[in-house]
Amino acid sequence: MAETVLEVRNLTTHFKTPEGVVKAVDGVSFELHAGETLGIVGESGSGKSVTALSVMRLVPRPGQIVKGEVRLKNRDLTSLTEAEMQEIRGVSIAMIFQDPMTSLNPVFRVGWQVAEPLFVHQNMDRIRALAEADKMLGRVGIPNPKERARDFPHQFSGGMRQRAMIAMGLTTMPPVLIADEPTTALDVTIQAQILELLRNVNREFGTATILITHNLGVVAGMCKRVIVMYAGKIVESGPTADVFAHPKHPYTWALLKSIPRLDADQRQPLRPIEGIPPDLIDLPSGCSFHPRCPFKIERCKRDTPSLIPVGDTQIAACWVTQSGVELKDA
Amino acid sequence: MISPLPIEVDLPQESRAPARVARSYWQEAWGRLRQNSIGMVAGGVLVFFVLVAIFAPLLAALITHQNYQTLDLTNTFAPPLSPNHILGTDDLGRDELTRLLFGARVSMGIGFLAVFVALTIGAAVGLVAGFYGGLIDGLLMRFVDIILAIPAIFLFILMAILFKPNTVTLALIIASVGWGSIARLVRGEVLSVRSRDFMVAGAALGARDSRLIVRHLLPNVMHVMIVFGSLYLGQVVLIEAALDFLGLGISPPTPSWGNMLTNAETFFFHSRTLAIFPGITIFLTVLAANLFGNAVRDAFDPRLR
Repeated sequence: MAETVLEVRNLTTHFKTPEGVVKAVDGVSFELHAGETLGIVGESGSGKSVTALSVMRLVPRPGQIVKGEVRLKNRDLTSLTEAEMQEIRGVSIAMIFQDPMTSLNPVFRVGWQVAEPLFVHQNMDRIRALAEADKMLGRVGIPNPKERARDFPHQFSGGMRQRAMIAMGLTTMPPVLIADEPTTALDVTIQAQILELLRNVNREFGTATILITHNLGVVAGMCKRVIVMYAGKIVESGPTADVFAHPKHPYTWALLKSIPRLDADQRQPLRPIEGIPPDLIDLPSGCSFHPRCPFKIERCKRDTPSLIPVGDTQIAACWVTQSGVELKDA
Repeated sequence: MISPLPIEVDLPQESRAPARVARSYWQEAWGRLRQNSIGMVAGGVLVFFVLVAIFAPLLAALITHQNYQTLDLTNTFAPPLSPNHILGTDDLGRDELTRLLFGARVSMGIGFLAVFVALTIGAAVGLVAGFYGGLIDGLLMRFVDIILAIPAIFLFILMAILFKPNTVTLALIIASVGWGSIARLVRGEVLSVRSRDFMVAGAALGARDSRLIVRHLLPNVMHVMIVFGSLYLGQVVLIEAALDFLGLGISPPTPSWGNMLTNAETFFFHSRTLAIFPGITIFLTVLAANLFGNAVRDAFDPRLR
């Protein structure tokens, strides 16, 4: 197995609000191996983005990492000072964001922004950094990069801005790239291009990528391994093929049931997941998913299942599958 | 069945049209400002007064051939267009136009200095308060509230008694109150800019707070500062004239538009023109500053019009 570049242990991030403590990330552990693309899926509010921001230590107020470790090359990022952390961001871990429309500063030329990590971290002189930025824009597929680098963000289309964001993240060749829903704000044809670009980046630069998305199709196409999050916890993880073929958690099962498929019987209605995502301040007792779970048993309401191996390759937090029951249509 | 129409698309031979110049935000705003003729005239008036202030001694030597302090008690209250005195003389026979030229130095000097100081302090406080939020924001903004709650005129009177007013101290006294409003405006703008992704993206690539504030926030709130600055310039000129008029500002023999008015009031029944000229210059400056400020605001935010 490839070397582990990033290891997250029992990461717990809470937001202390007047209404109570929001447990946005609740004891999340995972590893990222060199050169792989790891998918994190889950519905809105499941803690995907906060997990990513916690790794970067950029959780907005009033959020706070309460406990846990984020180990990058044997350094625990949660214990670093802010100044040390600034040397990690953009050098060892880069992050690209969901909305390319607001992720670039409107008052600066694109080339300058792509070059900014070089100014910040390598003290590179202006001319060399800008030349470097031109090159990088070319590599992410911006036509005429030399000229387009002198454009302002509003002259770029959404897809081009996302490419520019990716270029910005890659200038310093970080070993880890976190892509937080990089295709959500783009239309479908551009999505495919951006994903292709990320795949190339992964191949050419050997960058280990965490791909956060709520699009299961994207995960299927991009990621060898996938993590499924629900209500701030990991409920299942394993090789993407296995997780999609035999989900070991009812939430994953239900998610897969709720997407339309071209090859399925067209007359079968889509099956949504009943109910609403839980209130993160006041989580249900036991397994957080039990109020919406079609397979629930008595024990689910009382005890919280832990994440243990189920089957050969997957791990899941579910009393039902841990007892050996297959998830099948009722 | 509708068959797809054959669509002919003119694809450019080169992938990029030639010489499409990328215009920055500032260049676009400048382009819109140039379209606004009232704004441009107002700006021209301001530039004119600034030039007059800078070159007052030169202009005096070339045009009026007078010293602003030279008394000529044999020729007091000369009407405008008298020989050697284009705008006449005052109660001590001093040349009115020369005094107006030098008065521009006081008004413009204090105006720009006060605006500069107020903008610098106000922007710094607003940027820091808005960027960090929380306790720092609370403390700084409550302090701003306190500053803005002080009745300015009493503060000016007190300060004028404590410090002997000259151009610099008077500018600082006026700016000591004015920075509060700009701090509030800048903070408000920062709050909206700060929440945009590029700020998080900047932090995510490892930029220090100082870089985020100066390189990323400041240019994005600069337009608020420019608009406020030009509107505030008019206010400062007016405040300064008022303080001079009350005898709390620049005092004779240094001529300022404000203390020339005081003088004119005393001798109003001897010579009405003495009151008119400094009045007109103050009026023009303030009007120009306000019109120019509005034009700049429209240029930065065309939706407001």
